[in-house]
Amino acid sequence: MNTTSASAAATPQPFFITPAEVFSEFSHHHPSVARINNGGLGCCPSSLISSQRQIQLQWLRQPDEFFFNQLQPGMLRSRNVIKDLINADHVDEVSIVDNASTAISIVLQHMAWGFAEGKFHSGDATVMFHCAYGAVKKSVEAYFVRAGGYVIEVPLPFPVNSDDEILQEFRQALEKAKQNGRSVRLAIIDHVTFMPTVVMPVKQLVSICREAGIDHVFIDAAHGIGCVDVDMKQIGADFYTSNLHKWLFCPPSAAFLYCRKSNQSSALHHPVVTHQYGNGLATESSWIGTRDYSAQLVVPKILEFVNRFEGGIDGIKRRNHDAVVDMGEMLAKAWGTHLGCPPHMCSSMVMVGLPACLHVSSDQDSSKLRTYLRGKFGVEVSIYYRPPKDGEVGPLTGYARISYQVYNKLLLLLLWFIDISGKYLSLLQPKATTLPLSH
Amino acid sequence: MQHEDPRNGESDHRSSKKPKLSSKFITESDIRDEFSHHHPRVARINNGSFGSCPGSVLTAQRHLQLQFLRQPDAFYFNTLRDGITASRKIIKDFINADHVDEVSLVDNATTAAAIVLQRIGRSFAEGKFQKNDTVLMLHCAFQAVKKSIQAYVTRAGGSVIEVRLPFPVNSEEEIISEFKKSIEEGKSNGRKIRLAIIDHITSMPSLVIPVKELVRICRAEGIEQVFVDAAHAIGSVKVDVKEVGADFYVSNLHKWFFCPPSVAFLYCKKSTSSSDLHHPVVSHEYGNGLPVESAWIGTRDYSSQLVVPAVLEFVNRFEGGIDGIMKRNHDEVVKMGKMLVESWGTNLGSPPEMSAAMIMVGLPSRLCLNSEEDAVTLRSHLRDRYEVEVPIFHQVSKDGEEGVRDKDGFITGYLRMGKCAKCFIRNEEAVMKVGAAFHGINICVLPSF
Repeated sequence: MNTTSASAAATPQPFFITPAEVFSEFSHHHPSVARINNGGLGCCPSSLISSQRQIQLQWLRQPDEFFFNQLQPGMLRSRNVIKDLINADHVDEVSIVDNASTAISIVLQHMAWGFAEGKFHSGDATVMFHCAYGAVKKSVEAYFVRAGGYVIEVPLPFPVNSDDEILQEFRQALEKAKQNGRSVRLAIIDHVTFMPTVVMPVKQLVSICREAGIDHVFIDAAHGIGCVDVDMKQIGADFYTSNLHKWLFCPPSAAFLYCRKSNQSSALHHPVVTHQYGNGLATESSWIGTRDYSAQLVVPKILEFVNRFEGGIDGIKRRNHDAVVDMGEMLAKAWGTHLGCPPHMCSSMVMVGLPACLHVSSDQDSSKLRTYLRGKFGVEVSIYYRPPKDGEVGPLTGYARISYQVYNKLLLLLLWFIDISGKYLSLLQPKATTLPLSH
Repeated sequence: MQHEDPRNGESDHRSSKKPKLSSKFITESDIRDEFSHHHPRVARINNGSFGSCPGSVLTAQRHLQLQFLRQPDAFYFNTLRDGITASRKIIKDFINADHVDEVSLVDNATTAAAIVLQRIGRSFAEGKFQKNDTVLMLHCAFQAVKKSIQAYVTRAGGSVIEVRLPFPVNSEEEIISEFKKSIEEGKSNGRKIRLAIIDHITSMPSLVIPVKELVRICRAEGIEQVFVDAAHAIGSVKVDVKEVGADFYVSNLHKWFFCPPSVAFLYCKKSTSSSDLHHPVVSHEYGNGLPVESAWIGTRDYSSQLVVPAVLEFVNRFEGGIDGIMKRNHDEVVKMGKMLVESWGTNLGSPPEMSAAMIMVGLPSRLCLNSEEDAVTLRSHLRDRYEVEVPIFHQVSKDGEEGVRDKDGFITGYLRMGKCAKCFIRNEEAVMKVGAAFHGINICVLPSF
């Protein structure tokens, strides 16, 4: 498709995809599972699976020919599609990798070299939110801390009521670092946090970083593309990564890593080194040894799929957001709880407080509840344990992270959820000493 | 074809090396069916580069991919880890490793090299190694490995010794002698050799290296660790990691072991240092051991790693199982190589006992292959014009040394012929096609090379 941006690519069509067609595209989903955790592992429609299969067969048919003649041009096409979708300046700024975890490893390995080669000094810091994704925290430990760096964690207030609460915490953390004489070399900021999920005011956070003189700003937007607006020039970060398989219908798995052109950007390397080493991260990433690149090559077909929907990807995002907020509000009302943040800070996911009588009192409880909901009720939903703070009276300690994607049917889900919650709560009346959570 | 469902518990993998007693082995017609997705007219004699995968294994893979898409969370929680463990256990038995904890599954040998070398880089950065401590490798090591050494060793201040292997080669002794010389040279400069990287089967030119002997020499010479890059080994030569005795050993499963792209195993002998190996893509499993780290490196398609049980079923349909396949591949590629050599009046690059399922066949000197570019051009020409897929090697002549000659001049080019049981075209046909291709290339006039 020769289009310049996602929204412009939504060429007016007389017939948009129908509900029956959507159903057919996702008919491979388990029919009796209420799948409201799209934010976890994403989804992929049948037409894209078929396209992917074609590519796989082409490789298997004559792999040498594919390697010499088709692979690199195909990867370049995919990168160009993404460059347009995210409003990057140049296709060289766009690399395709497996997932956001790979992207963060690339950036952090670069930081580790900074320490090893004397550009950074022992005790130099990275700042990130305490709710950063587990793999990101581990990557920071493996590369940054191991090389001599220090981690500053910023608490994310939750439940949260406004962007200002987040900005305030961030400013305070940077101020403290300054007072302690720490050089902050890297800021890692989520665009949409994963648990609890909240849309962060990234543009303002990046501005604060620039004011504070932070060398590099990395946005972990695992949930970004297809979920919130993604505009590299507007956001202004040095590095930005987003998975394509979560909210952009790509098969597992593919992600992009955007690196703003600078003196530094040419020094980034993919950790799996091949003969392409030194030819730029984008080129290195498009050949990391023999493997299946079909998920990354199928990206141009994604546009064809999303443009069958009214408004293209923007329309999908808007409708997902409205539906998930509606659902969240109805559930919160039915249960007498509340949402974890106001609607404008929700994406295609929402945190809904669970009734206090469920007694979610630990991470183990939330895992058990999730397993129980899957096994007993066929509901796939992530559960979050929110530890109470000192002095709080009767806070909600459990939240469900509900996702909404095009294959979900709002009304059915609501009826189902309310029915389940009714059954579930009735199991707890009178209050049992042995909760279903222990099953 | 049903594959073993890893959720159904372990099957007896100790019998994995022995084929099922069956009165009915796979037939030629079955083989054609299994590889019916291959381009029907291309003489595909380059199995060594990208491997091949039979239809029944692809079906098993597809089944796994759909299972994931159907209910990804359940797959992640209930199926994935056990499935990868089942695959690792099969490999452990195949390669005679002591413990399944010594076996990690990664994408390919290139990833394994990055894992081992990244650790070397860290050792320099953390002061465990000193500037100019050395890594030793063969001069014909795979290009990705050389670049990985540059990225992690040279960049961190280490130095490199290259062992120049003779080619064409006449005996293992020639290789052993060069290897010993290079170690002496390295040590004579007072350098400490921290790691030796030895190919089990070199890529280009392709030779089977006497790894067991070379590893023994490394130990005798006090080289700290040995990494065997055996990208081509499993399914091509016998792999016994205890016998080889290296610290690290990697082989791709998609080259000669019928796995879909791509999957490889990295064996790490249990030791104090093996716990400090990490996958470069860090996930929440960081610190739980390399096999566990490698089994989850973020959301991606792990189906090629899960399909190893189905591959085992496939190879056991052949008489003699994988051993039978290896022997027949070797015998046939040697036969094919000799046919061409006789027809062209050239030579094989090594004696048959130093080749496995690939063999280097000297090209007529009249081709005047004078550079790497000529080799690439010739390869493309063979593919586009004659539908023959075969890698070409340009042999650089050493100063002052007489190369091998045919009746017209020095032999400067070799083709690397790879034979796999699934070769769609029979031996004689393949040889004829290659022969005809070269005859068709007007070798009396040297065009665009």
